Amino acid sequence: MLRERATVSASTPRSRVAISFGSPAGESGVTRLDLNEILIRNPQAAFLVRIAGSAMREAGIDDGDLALVDRALDANHGQVVIAVHQNEFLCRRLCRRDEALGLQAPAPDVPDIWASEADNVDVWGVVTHVIKQVSG
Amino acid sequence: MFALVDVNNMYVSCERVFRPALNGKPVVVLSNNDGACIARSNEAKDLGVKMAQPWFEVKHLERSAGLIALSANFELYGDMSSRMMVLAARYAPRQEIYSIDECFLDFEGVPGNLAAIGRALRRQVLQWVGLPTSVGFGPTKTLAKLANHVAKTADRKPGTYPTRLAQVCDFGILGPEELDDVMRRTDVGDIWGVGRKTAPKLHDAGIRTVLDLKRADAATLGRQLGVVMQKTVRELQGTRCLEVDDDPPAQQQIMCSRSFGNPVTELPELIEVVSGFATRVGRRLREQQEACNAVHVFITTSPYRKMDPQHSPTATLPLPRPTADTRVLVNASVTALRGIYKPGYRYVKAGVMLVELLSSKQEPTSLELFDEPEHLQPDGRRNLMATLDALNERFGRDSVSIASSAKRSARSTHASRQERRSPRYTTRLDEVIVARA
Repeated sequence: MLRERATVSASTPRSRVAISFGSPAGESGVTRLDLNEILIRNPQAAFLVRIAGSAMREAGIDDGDLALVDRALDANHGQVVIAVHQNEFLCRRLCRRDEALGLQAPAPDVPDIWASEADNVDVWGVVTHVIKQVSG
Repeated sequence: MFALVDVNNMYVSCERVFRPALNGKPVVVLSNNDGACIARSNEAKDLGVKMAQPWFEVKHLERSAGLIALSANFELYGDMSSRMMVLAARYAPRQEIYSIDECFLDFEGVPGNLAAIGRALRRQVLQWVGLPTSVGFGPTKTLAKLANHVAKTADRKPGTYPTRLAQVCDFGILGPEELDDVMRRTDVGDIWGVGRKTAPKLHDAGIRTVLDLKRADAATLGRQLGVVMQKTVRELQGTRCLEVDDDPPAQQQIMCSRSFGNPVTELPELIEVVSGFATRVGRRLREQQEACNAVHVFITTSPYRKMDPQHSPTATLPLPRPTADTRVLVNASVTALRGIYKPGYRYVKAGVMLVELLSSKQEPTSLELFDEPEHLQPDGRRNLMATLDALNERFGRDSVSIASSAKRSARSTHASRQERRSPRYTTRLDEVIVARA
């Protein structure tokens, strides 16, 4: 059965009665869980990236997954990132060894990539979550 | 102090965020029907490609110089614009979004080193959104705009202005002689408020540089060239004539936005406001004898009401063909608004922007100018409401179905027209960037 929410709070400046479904913030202060708020800390820096390939499978990232990327975060050693290498987007684990920047995948047949003067590696954003479709 | 923040080569810069292979290459973005160049990378400018130059005139550069041409992707640019604008708004108490890629910030009463604030803003937009910006600070809007021109030009062409003014330029830290020197280096045609028609007239009168104009007599020039010129001269002299949210003169984009006196939560009220804005920008479009190819709509909650849930969505709706018809503009704006509105938020500002303008003479067959009733000629809220009444009277309840059918036709023609359009990386789930793993 559907129930309408009707609350009046004397403490808020708005004296109107709020009757609504799915209102982000009711007068009672109760808010329905919102995946955007849970998953996205910086909406202006949030981007979705589709993963193609299985080099990151052992890191829990499969072909076809949707990666949630936050460009606001500074990339640290060990984090999964979206990087640009030879004008292509790659999903890899970031390595910092001394001053050098590297991209690694857990799959044994995938070679590491180390940035050099001739061969640049740019971190595009940090992967914070991975969305997998399990059914449906 | 005011700041003017704008994105360098906005449309090309948006494309480069998602297509790194375009970095360092000459790139142009073409208008909806792939007719003219409406954005150019620095490399394309260096090849001599001019703003609004017809594509067929520069097409040979594709083979000879590796010029890359892309169809305009307004959904992408609109979303990237809204990300940039929300970030910029955090740095000052008041923001006026002036076009899809530039905004004024009013730093009145803000203490501290403004150039440092500008650099922080620039750094954040570059990291979070990926867009390079230029920031100019000045005591008037005209001077902030000039400072922005200096920041951008000093960065792109070393030697034109002192290097320390590149990227972020604060006129507040310059001595009077330094400021005069900057004005002496700037052609009068490069500043805000001096149009293509006015610049030759000023040149004829011996006014070649911005410094010449600043030293001119505002009242005399005003009598000869109009009140806009008089304001421009006084603003160059440091007297504030334009405030934030004052209607700016005609530009590449036409924009109408207002902050509300009280927060608005209901859709019908927003539809009323947005319809009014669309009517106003439509009138300005026809005054300029231009047509537009897309409509950009935004609504925003107040970042200063920390207790309120925040929602600042935007939508850009490409039009099936270039138009200056108020009915089409209103319907497109309302369609866009319906797509982004969510109940339960307290919106404090809305805006409608017409983007990718072209002269209506360029495509005379595609125009159906809306005949406005006589009582709608001058500006003003009374007339704005009268326009709404006229529209409601004319369209009544059917306006909803017109809007939705307009959306369908916009989609269907979209693909056929824009052969070189890149994916809409941030607004369509099946078009997001792909990373190899």
